[in-house]
Amino acid sequence: MQPSRRHFLARAGQGFGLVALSGLLQEKLLAATKAKRIIYLFMHGGVSHVDTFDPKPALAKYNGQPLPGSFGEGLVTSRIDFRKARMLASPWHFTRSGQSGLEISDLYPHLQKHADRLAVIRSCHGDAFDHAPAINLRTSGNQFPGRPSLGAWAAYGLGSENKNLPSFVVMSDGAMKSGAGAYGSGFLPASYQGTTFRSGQNPVLHLASPAGIPPASQKETLALIDRLNRRHFATREEDSTLEARIASYELAYRMQAEAPDAVDLSKESAATKALYGIDQPMTDDFGRKCLLARRLVERGVRFVQLYQGTNLGDDWDDAHLDLLGSHNKMAKKSDQPIAGLLSDLASRGLLDSTLVVWSSEFGRTPLAEGKNGRDHHPYGFSMWMAGAGIAGGRVLGATDEFGLRAVEQRKDVHDVHATLLRLLGLDHTQLTYRYQSRDMRLTDVHGENEFTSWLLNA
Amino acid sequence: MRLAVFFSFALSLYPADQNSAAVALLARKCHACHGPQVQLSGLRLDSREALLRGGKQGPALTPGKPAESPLFRAISAGAKVAMPPTGPLDPAEVKLLGEWITAGAAWPADTVAAAKWWSFEKVKPVSPPALADPWARTPVDRFILQQLRAQGLSPAPEADRRTLIRRATFDLHGLPPTAAEIEAFEKDPSPTAYETLIDRLLASPRYGEKWGKHWLDLVRYGDTSGFEQDPYLLYAWRYRDYVIDSFNAGKPYNRFLKEQLAGDELYDEPTAQQGTGFFTVGPNRDMLFKVEDINRVETLTDFVDTTSSVFLGLTVGCARCHDHKYDPIPQKDYYRLQAIFAPIVKSRVFLTYNLARQYDLQENTRQWKLYDLADEFQRLKAPYVKRLRAEKLAQLPPAVQTAFATEEDQRTPQQKADFEMYTKKVAPRDDEIFALLTPEEKTQLERLKTRLLALYSTYAPGPFSPSVTDSGPVGPPVYLPGQPNAEARPGFLSALGGGDIAPPPPGAATTLRRKALAEWIASPDHPLTARVAVNRVWQAHFGRGLVATTSDFGARGARPTHPELLDWLANEFVAQGWDFKSLHRTLMLSSVYRQQTRPTPAALTKDPENQWLSHFTRRRLEAEEVRDSILLTAGTLNPKMHGKPVVPALAAEELYGMSQPLANAWVVTSDPTEHTRRSIYMISRRNFRMPLLEVFDRPEGVLSCSRRESSTTPTQSLSLLNSDFTRQQALALAAASLRGDETAIAEAIFRATLARRPDANELDLARQFLTKQTQLLGSVDKAAAELARGLFNTNEFLYVD
Repeated sequence: MQPSRRHFLARAGQGFGLVALSGLLQEKLLAATKAKRIIYLFMHGGVSHVDTFDPKPALAKYNGQPLPGSFGEGLVTSRIDFRKARMLASPWHFTRSGQSGLEISDLYPHLQKHADRLAVIRSCHGDAFDHAPAINLRTSGNQFPGRPSLGAWAAYGLGSENKNLPSFVVMSDGAMKSGAGAYGSGFLPASYQGTTFRSGQNPVLHLASPAGIPPASQKETLALIDRLNRRHFATREEDSTLEARIASYELAYRMQAEAPDAVDLSKESAATKALYGIDQPMTDDFGRKCLLARRLVERGVRFVQLYQGTNLGDDWDDAHLDLLGSHNKMAKKSDQPIAGLLSDLASRGLLDSTLVVWSSEFGRTPLAEGKNGRDHHPYGFSMWMAGAGIAGGRVLGATDEFGLRAVEQRKDVHDVHATLLRLLGLDHTQLTYRYQSRDMRLTDVHGENEFTSWLLNA
Repeated sequence: MRLAVFFSFALSLYPADQNSAAVALLARKCHACHGPQVQLSGLRLDSREALLRGGKQGPALTPGKPAESPLFRAISAGAKVAMPPTGPLDPAEVKLLGEWITAGAAWPADTVAAAKWWSFEKVKPVSPPALADPWARTPVDRFILQQLRAQGLSPAPEADRRTLIRRATFDLHGLPPTAAEIEAFEKDPSPTAYETLIDRLLASPRYGEKWGKHWLDLVRYGDTSGFEQDPYLLYAWRYRDYVIDSFNAGKPYNRFLKEQLAGDELYDEPTAQQGTGFFTVGPNRDMLFKVEDINRVETLTDFVDTTSSVFLGLTVGCARCHDHKYDPIPQKDYYRLQAIFAPIVKSRVFLTYNLARQYDLQENTRQWKLYDLADEFQRLKAPYVKRLRAEKLAQLPPAVQTAFATEEDQRTPQQKADFEMYTKKVAPRDDEIFALLTPEEKTQLERLKTRLLALYSTYAPGPFSPSVTDSGPVGPPVYLPGQPNAEARPGFLSALGGGDIAPPPPGAATTLRRKALAEWIASPDHPLTARVAVNRVWQAHFGRGLVATTSDFGARGARPTHPELLDWLANEFVAQGWDFKSLHRTLMLSSVYRQQTRPTPAALTKDPENQWLSHFTRRRLEAEEVRDSILLTAGTLNPKMHGKPVVPALAAEELYGMSQPLANAWVVTSDPTEHTRRSIYMISRRNFRMPLLEVFDRPEGVLSCSRRESSTTPTQSLSLLNSDFTRQQALALAAASLRGDETAIAEAIFRATLARRPDANELDLARQFLTKQTQLLGSVDKAAAELARGLFNTNEFLYVD
């Protein structure tokens, strides 16, 4: 590996990524875009597109019938057989919302009020129909684990705005079907890895002093480390990595101070909390995460990824057996928090520079699994973006009349990644890292179909 | 006629070295696809005749007329078929070829042979430079010194003995030396004290634990498969132990690699066949449903990529989809390699034949007995299950009750769905059942438990090791992508001499393809094998390979800084019987290895990356070294070797995010003394790394890792400062150091962690610290633990000079 200047600086360890852009990367920045940071709302387990953002009247018309002709040929998924399973009408009504009349199902009454902010992409597609490979694909561009995730690339490309906090923060509901690799740094240095924040007094692993060690004592121990390290450094002053480690203890100490403050929601007004549905039983948890996300981007965190759903609890994937119950529950838990986040960002003037992305690892089959279920469906599904200058109330691409395959303006994950990087001002072909002698990219050799201009131009 | 005259005129004016330059340019830029080994479109560009003959599109060249020469048109701006595919030539290069064609495209006699990439050429016999300098103890030093002089640099003075023993012990054991070991070495009056030290370190089993880990990084070792369920690879650890033992036994590298690639085809001994575990310890999704074809493709890809990068130092992965753009590896070659592995099936080696058979028989009987035990258990429960289920069902909506009452084949779709959804909900829990049992039934249950326990009282992993073999003597055909008629025959890389692998003789049990591959790679004449191996060892000792890209010796890789030294080492390695321990001696006994870390100002300016080695490069401890050093210095390291992976207890917050229930995914090893064994014996799950190891850059075990990152992050500091692990070890060290007054305690803790006495200043500092912390924490043992925790976090502890 040829150490680049950037790499050297990362090693020299100015904490989480870099404070300022190095000249090297600045040259690679594209024309100014408004997005300075991303909040990525990842619906873990698979949200049904035909029940949320992609209405398909044909499913109601042919409810209970198999697909006509050879429509189902060549598609495979986890449990059902596309040639035999029957179409299932959406149990939810779609409402034309906002001035734009964007169709959003009644699963999302709060989000409907933000219809004019959302640019919906109805033509996402992929080929991985199991969760872990599909989550890996969505988050890192590759079905197999081990590649840096989108957030790590963004942190690597943009550096940090706040050296006391990580550039890439993840909040999940716990167990992910993909494991932590979905927010790993792969072959990028560990400093770009997603740092998991949890709610509560200790949002970061090992942030708290050991049990039984009061702050005064912790401070003494840190002072001892610093004294000894400076004596050690005195005869080794040419080695910046030693200095970086000394600084990393100072950073750790500042994080102990700053991170709990960043996650301290008691400083928010009752009105703000209500906006996110905090203290309401269904919306409290995701509401807190969304509010935390706002507090973090406010403090300069570049990439916040929220996962809703978990392998070991409530999950969108419960739609296998119970579409109605699972989607009602999961949407209820996140609708008001997401809407609250959009409102709050907007009212604080942050929405102009914050890109909000909503997606899942795949959609769900327009065909029934059992009576009231839908299976995994990667061949055509929806996502949306808002904020950062995106012209909302519009739809890009389309699936066929049954919501089976993306047929117009097909966008694979690389196209989406190229677009997201472009919105951050990064050219996906230029954002590279030399690994095993290849200049590796998030988009590998793909991503020729980005759609930034569509998003930004109404 | 006039043309001919013009040519001879032009030729006479055109400088001969320009001819060479043009032909060399063709070789460099075009021969990968249009050369002696590969002729895409039937075109080769390695002789004037070949150019004039051309390929499928006709002649490539009209001498004298660049504009009419397809070759020139293809390299010119705006060409329909733009060549080379790697990107346009420089304008100067285009101009050179244009002028060369204008001048008649003469072929210099001495450049007929293709220009070859350095690493594909045979290792040259090299003699060390004839330098007489007292600094240069060994041949290695003479190569280094020659380059240092050429760069206007000079070597650093020799490090003191304390530094040397610490450096050598970490390099060979991944652990620090104890204070007693340092003192003994410092006092050793023998002129060969250092040589004795290196021999002692190489003879210790700690050596295999350190160097085994380097190898496990390369072969993307893990104890689980990865993906959502992340199931255990139950016997992967046998391969881990095999690797450790191989290093400790001083197994020659050529043998080691042959065992791994084709142990089943080459050797009878089970311990040699264990090597083929190489193919089984990577990530896989064998247990995912419906993706068998993807599995197969991804598995073969993993085999080809990992094998070539580990043993050949080549990244052939590019050629999976197209001819390699930078190295002379056409797509065909990729699939020739894939055909070698296509017959592989997973298997297991019986380490002891009779015991393994016996184990299988016991398992077989046990299984049979279990069926009956389960039957009895079901019978015992049955009436209560029925009763409880009926009670629960009665509370559900009538429609659901009807669904349950209806025969399975009579149920409507809605009823089927209801049945599926509620089956779990009406199922009684065992505790509900047990509460209802009669005393007699409870006794019966106890008897069942006893029988069950008896069946498992001696349960242990069987004497197997994971391995592979071929499905038979005929392999499944492998085709080039999108070309169902183009079968790729098993064979080697054409740029390295190529050759097909012959079918096996009649009666062979396997295809013998991997045997052929292993013997080809292990050949002393192979230009890459020994170079790649010695370069990896060099990197581990000096922080950077002579070729900085240790797994890429191709055109995109780094050029060697000391090509002659690399070849000399490669020759020496082979001559010494491919012996790693001998190679360590060669490197570690040199003066260049014994230098201080302090660079001169000149060195910092001229060579900031220290590629010319004017001083030794300081390094941070690797993840496992951090953990193992803390255990050793705290006095808690359990030196037990081998065996199934240990799952240490972790705090709940550390286990956050595990994809499977902890009861399945993190089954803490019941014997706590196991928890303080070396990190190489801790479980390596692909979906979850122990946080302390993860933050210190332990790789994920998904892709082959040839060089670890050495990052510096605040999360490292937080983990090392605040984790339960550090705190527990600090308390253990404090407890062992509580003798005498504060001076004695401070000295004991310094001696354990930093293996030295504190100087007067440090002692003052430590005593004040202990006093203050005793006030704050209320006891001297807690204060002492804080001193230990502090010292574990110092740079002196974490870095090797």
